Amino acid sequence: MSEPIIRMEGIKKIYPDGTVALRGVTFEVLPGEIHGLLGENGAGKTTLMSILYGIVPLTSGRIFIKGRQVRVTSPNDAMRLGIGMVHQHFMLVPVFTALDNIILGAEPRKKGFLIDRKEAERRVMELMERVALKVDLDAPVETLPVGVRQRIEILKMLYREADILILDEPTAVLTPIEVEELFSFLRRIREEGKTVIFITHKLKEVKAITDRVTVLRKGLVVGVRRTRDVSMEELATMMIGRKLTGVEKSEEVSPREDYLRIKDLWVRNDRGGYAVKGVSFSVRSGEIFGIAGVEGNGQSELVEAICGLRPPEKGDVYIRSKRVIGLNPMELYALGLGHIPEDRHKWGIILEFSLKENAILGVHRSKRFVSRYGMLDEPRIREWTESIIKNFTVEAPGSDFPAKSLSGGNQQKLIVGRELSKEPSVVIASQPTRGLDVAATEYIRKILIRMRNKGKAVLLVSADLDEVLSLSDRVAVMYEGEFMGLVHPSEINRERIGLMMGGLRLEAIS
Amino acid sequence: MRTCDDLRNHLRPVVESSLSLLAGFLAGGIIIWAAGFNPILFYEALIAGAFGDIYSTLNTLSYSTPLILTALSFAIAARASLFNIGAEGQMYFGVLAAVSIGAFIALPSVMHQLCIITLAILLGGLWGAVAGWLRVSRGVNEVVSTIMMNFLALYLVNYLATYVFYDPLQAYKTKSILPSAELPLMVPGTDLSLAFLLSIATAMALYILLWRTPLGYEIRAVGLNPSAARYGGIDVKRTMITSMFLSGATAALAGAFEVMGRFYYTDTGLSIVRNMGFDGIAVSLVGRNHPIGIILSSIFFAMLKTGIQAVQRSTSVGGRTGVPLELGLVVQGIIIIFISIPEMLDLIRRLRGRREV
Amino acid sequence: MDTSMLFILLQAPLYLGTLRLMVPITLPAIGEIITERSGVVNIGLEGIIMLGALASVYVGYFTGSLLLALLAGILAGVCVGILHGIISVYLGGDQIIVGVGVNVFAYGLGVITLYLSWGTFANSPLIPDSARVPDLHGISPFVVLTFMSGVTAWYLLERTSIGLRLKAVGENPKAADAAGINVFRTRFVATVIGAVFAALGGTFLGLDWLASYTRDISAGRGFIALAMVVFSKWNPILAILSGLLFGFFFALSLTIPSGIIPDQLVWSLPYAATLLVAAGFFTKTRAPAAIGKPYRRE
Repeated sequence: MSEPIIRMEGIKKIYPDGTVALRGVTFEVLPGEIHGLLGENGAGKTTLMSILYGIVPLTSGRIFIKGRQVRVTSPNDAMRLGIGMVHQHFMLVPVFTALDNIILGAEPRKKGFLIDRKEAERRVMELMERVALKVDLDAPVETLPVGVRQRIEILKMLYREADILILDEPTAVLTPIEVEELFSFLRRIREEGKTVIFITHKLKEVKAITDRVTVLRKGLVVGVRRTRDVSMEELATMMIGRKLTGVEKSEEVSPREDYLRIKDLWVRNDRGGYAVKGVSFSVRSGEIFGIAGVEGNGQSELVEAICGLRPPEKGDVYIRSKRVIGLNPMELYALGLGHIPEDRHKWGIILEFSLKENAILGVHRSKRFVSRYGMLDEPRIREWTESIIKNFTVEAPGSDFPAKSLSGGNQQKLIVGRELSKEPSVVIASQPTRGLDVAATEYIRKILIRMRNKGKAVLLVSADLDEVLSLSDRVAVMYEGEFMGLVHPSEINRERIGLMMGGLRLEAIS
Repeated sequence: MRTCDDLRNHLRPVVESSLSLLAGFLAGGIIIWAAGFNPILFYEALIAGAFGDIYSTLNTLSYSTPLILTALSFAIAARASLFNIGAEGQMYFGVLAAVSIGAFIALPSVMHQLCIITLAILLGGLWGAVAGWLRVSRGVNEVVSTIMMNFLALYLVNYLATYVFYDPLQAYKTKSILPSAELPLMVPGTDLSLAFLLSIATAMALYILLWRTPLGYEIRAVGLNPSAARYGGIDVKRTMITSMFLSGATAALAGAFEVMGRFYYTDTGLSIVRNMGFDGIAVSLVGRNHPIGIILSSIFFAMLKTGIQAVQRSTSVGGRTGVPLELGLVVQGIIIIFISIPEMLDLIRRLRGRREV
Repeated sequence: MDTSMLFILLQAPLYLGTLRLMVPITLPAIGEIITERSGVVNIGLEGIIMLGALASVYVGYFTGSLLLALLAGILAGVCVGILHGIISVYLGGDQIIVGVGVNVFAYGLGVITLYLSWGTFANSPLIPDSARVPDLHGISPFVVLTFMSGVTAWYLLERTSIGLRLKAVGENPKAADAAGINVFRTRFVATVIGAVFAALGGTFLGLDWLASYTRDISAGRGFIALAMVVFSKWNPILAILSGLLFGFFFALSLTIPSGIIPDQLVWSLPYAATLLVAAGFFTKTRAPAAIGKPYRRE
């Protein structure tokens, strides 16, 4: 076996806010291989590669490239070492032509400062010829489809003579045909002796394209395998792990009527493509309906569409048999919707606002809080806030303090408290325990179960499979905007869920 | 420990504003010194001139009146995270309302004033709302649109003053408003008219609006976190336009009150109010876009004005009769520049740390 | 009236006036285009024009040296540019607020200098002839400079690697950073260059056209220049054309006997036209995507 071209040794990364992303990872890539880096969201894949590319500084550890220890503190360093990275969010200038984007920062020049576009074009053409990857060089990038933009990103790296190419979830934006094209391209450049690191959470892709695979889970390497020696089931188990947290669900509540019904819902993402492709389901009173899946498969857009934050393209949403398409969030809350949003700092809370002000977000115009003269009713708001603080054990210095003075867990409790105090009949909880410590996580899970037991319909969306499986009565697995299948957690094993998360349909694996 | 931190967080803006004021004063002092005066004596005379006796104090308060209003105008837009530098133009519409209704329509007192105020609010508010609408529906940055609209307002009002509302006897100015439209002086012999009380009342009203009503809640939510505002069911676009309306209306009050309570006419070039809209930006920034802070910083900036006027008249400071009023602008400019530096305290701390290392 | 209009339109002074009036608005506009293409807004142009004029007139008056006066004007631009650049680029401060501060400061400093140096509040005495910019064949060299600057700036932006990088920084600083371009330095330099152009506009007013400093010397030209940047869609060549257009209308309003067309209407034109263009009523315009946003590395 040859000497590794990349060796990252004992890499640790702790972010300034204390989040531990990598707990001592050792990662090796052999020259001329396509190496898969597999893991769930938050496993540390992107962080590890960002360290290699010089965007994220490491906390401790050593990096060797071609046997030599190096320090990579900027993308420039990485490029000098022959490393190129294609980010998940492309680093392109939309108004520039493809050619200008490719040569940016490494323009061939004449007379010292003029760009020699002829020479640039010649070189890029030659490169495109060699690797059989074609793009229209004169078109502004913003007019090109994402698949082509990705090719531009790859060309940009190859133009800078990268011989190690990192691709971060490259198939996320591609159509199946484009994926095939990308794969055959990767095989071609492997023939040329280039090394490829392929970040993904999709098992099929690991099997389809990689030579070896490293599996990361929660900042640690769980295994390195030769791809042909490992089955998808095995990879699924490695990626997801077996840890189960104990949440007892107490009594069975027999679900009754449909409180939330979704019919053939189609929702576009910000880039204009479909993120949700004709999803139908209903959530009954007294049940927790879980949606599992790797993040970015349309869950966020689905929730936003249900909660009035993103107009769906077509389809229907009913809350207790009332069609609610086109209503704004405030109207939805009045109809009995409670929404615990996935990104609490973006949606759920205004950090500079006091707890009182945050406690009435969305119900601030309801009669309960507006006095006869159109003023906000201070005493009632205070009373309301203090009851949330008490009932949901929010640790707060007082209701007049800004929300940013609370810890993350207490901010989330405040949001949960606010949403549940509205006495909703339907509760949408999106990633409700993300980033919380163990105690707060347990607490919020218990609350969700209590809501179920009180006869509310709870829709739980979470990338944490343990959470979904242990809390839900029924689970749908979402992949690229569609449900791969609907299962009862007690009747399915984790491997099969893992396969569904990786894009296989329930019918195909049973 | 927590309360200590909290206190520090509350004091922080006050300290940063004070540092900016100090920097402005220091730079002003250097210029005074370069001009051959003793800066300390100069500032003593300035403060004495502004607050030395009851009359000068009342005059200082009088000068703070338009500043309070134009600063509130800036602040209410800023609370919705809009940078309205159009108070200047919006204010001209208040002048227009005052001279048109005030001089050309006879009405009983009180009614007369109320009509002017209503028209000023409508014209200024709509002028501001146009900029808000351009922002939310056509994507025009409000900084660009309000700069353009300031000039359009100037030329429009200038045209109307010159050709429609002019005084046939003295063509450089409009006709004076009728006594029934005047705001009475609160203390005879000073410039302090009822306008001062009205502007304080406006500050209080806006304070209540911003912190005690659902609309104010929505304006602040939109300014701090538009996504969360949307999540809370707030119509972000409508709220932005509303805050621009309020902003323009408040600025227009400044123009109307200057005519009704001080000059009773305007020169056709509007020099009686020129730049007061821009002054409001500095006042509001120093007052941290808060009505109470704005009242205090208005008085501070008014002090610069009346104080320097007093220094001009005094002979005790130096051999010369004085320095131009524009010294106040130099001080003001430097204050604004310092205010623009973010986290100034952290910066100073870091610089100090570096030196110690 | 028709014949008198025709008469005016055929007169040389109208066109010479156009050329003269375009210079102090077009030079700052060209500079601002460079600054804004890098993602920085400088609304302190008005103030920089004043400071450029003030510095050059002051030095010209007291030394009688054209060279020193020119240098002083440029130096004023460099200083404000550095100040603006440090605050808005390196410290991540609010670009608009800095600009407002510069405008207020410059106006005040101008009047104070008038008073302290010449004992007047209105305008300085004329500078000595030795410090005046001589005309070349009846045309100010500043006119030539303006045209050359516009073309050069266009060439710089569209044909050179510096220009490509500058535009990348203004459109997507993250992508530029990932391509190894120093976002901060690029923006800083673009800010200083823009300020120097604005100061040159002021220098023209002080050493050429008026040969003195007056308290309202800038007379809103900095704001017209800001309007022109939008009007000309951030293109220096179009900035020259819009400078000629606006200059022509101003010259016309000076030439036409008053009363025929209200002056206010003519003066309003650049602002109204710009507002309509910015709102996309005639053509599509698009500001640099990252304009006005301080860049911070994560």
